Amino acid sequence: MSELDTQFFRHEYGRLVAMLSRRVGVHRLEQVEDAVQEALTTAVETWPKSSVPENPSAWLYRVALNQLTGGLRLQTRRQKLAEHHDFTGGEVATDVPHAFLAADVRDDLLRMLFACCDPAIPVESQLVLALKVLCGFDVREIAERLFLTEANVYKRVARARSRLAEAEIELGEITPEELRARVPAVQSILYVLFTEGHLSSHVEGPIRLELCDEAIRLARELAEHPISATPETFALIALMHFHRARMPSRQDGSGGLLLLEEQDRALWDQSQIQDGLSWLARSAGGEAFSRYHAEAGIAAEHCMAASFAATRWDRIVECYELLDRVAPSALHTLNRAVALAQSQGPNAGLALLAGLEPPSWLLGSYLWAAVLCDLHRRANHRELAEQHRIVALDTAPSPVVRAALERRLHGQ
Amino acid sequence: MPKFLCLQRSFPGGGQQAEKPSPAQMQAMYEKFNQWRDKFRDNLVDLGGRLGVGSIALPEPPPDGPLVEVKELVGGYMVVAAPSLDEALQIARGCPGLVRPGSGVEVIEIKTPG
Repeated sequence: MSELDTQFFRHEYGRLVAMLSRRVGVHRLEQVEDAVQEALTTAVETWPKSSVPENPSAWLYRVALNQLTGGLRLQTRRQKLAEHHDFTGGEVATDVPHAFLAADVRDDLLRMLFACCDPAIPVESQLVLALKVLCGFDVREIAERLFLTEANVYKRVARARSRLAEAEIELGEITPEELRARVPAVQSILYVLFTEGHLSSHVEGPIRLELCDEAIRLARELAEHPISATPETFALIALMHFHRARMPSRQDGSGGLLLLEEQDRALWDQSQIQDGLSWLARSAGGEAFSRYHAEAGIAAEHCMAASFAATRWDRIVECYELLDRVAPSALHTLNRAVALAQSQGPNAGLALLAGLEPPSWLLGSYLWAAVLCDLHRRANHRELAEQHRIVALDTAPSPVVRAALERRLHGQ
Repeated sequence: MPKFLCLQRSFPGGGQQAEKPSPAQMQAMYEKFNQWRDKFRDNLVDLGGRLGVGSIALPEPPPDGPLVEVKELVGGYMVVAAPSLDEALQIARGCPGLVRPGSGVEVIEIKTPG
């Protein structure tokens, strides 16, 4: 075997960090990451010269563990010397690596993911930490993907690491109850990760698709673990697949953003839609109805519609109502108004929005102005439409969004 | 075909403090190295390796003056077979990661009798 999976090093990084952190404690994350880096470097140098070992993962684990225990012993010795004590031996067991059972590795990965979602770590640091330790992106790569500066990413990683170092959490000691309690936070971080890759305000490139694929990969791991294999997780995965299916059609040849009604539905990835549908079916198993169910339902309706005109807007309106109930947000009401206008005409949409007092963040956003412009335009309120059109174009977050709005909101 | 000893040499300045490659970059390095190896499969006699700790056996009495140990200058070695020094140099130069800021390769013919 000399052919490795195209993401082998990145995914192996995540697996190794998770396995070793469980062993020596997540408070030693920095040393663990250094050891993993060293093991991967050794692999790059030696594998092409001899051959890829029969079990590459086990090989890497052994090298990284040796590196780590060597480093930790040295550290212990220095500490003891400083305290005028004799060195009495390593504090870390060096027995042979435990069997590489898929279930164990999965358990380690998930425990690491749960550790990243420690409530004491700010959410934006959780996301960066997960990308760093579980997806194997480095600071520069994360900065590039999240549109942040490297200094900012570095700061977020450091904050998360120091929190984990303080807490001295033993990953193996997190009880099933604690894990269960943290499942919603984990789902939410994967949702955020996916959304980061999917944001329509940024130009999509392969590196943004990668974020979506990482979110799907980790969410599917979540679905394989008894503790997190819940209808919410299944619905979250369904939602991701439906959005992923439509991503190839969201851009024109020159990087411009295409609106739903402009997209070539033939480009929608049917295998992603099929995956979405089967996860959606699994998600219907329990009592629970989550925001992920509602959003997956909406995305499914779009994916199943043969054309923009054939979309079952009444079903989408229902899903938005449900979504607004389980996760109240003025943004959901705004989306519902759009769907309502499609199914019952622009005045129905405007009537719904008339009863809404939008929070300032929404009032100041291009979304609010763009929807109002569109609805007023279709209702023949030319002056109001024009007022909102100017605001929408002024507040567009990027040139691609602005170009799409100009097309969509053109004057009469 | 003549054989050549290729020595990876470290030069002062640059390279030492270079950022560690990310896993994705390591993957790219790994793939490049494999392509290079496949391309020159017939020329690569011994892919060698990095040099570790060493020790010198000295005559009695030991020579005067400070001794420069080779491993201070040389990071690693390999042996290639090529029709000429120029071609050997081309093969060595193509090896990913060898010639970069702070590092280069010295190619020396290995003389054999006859």
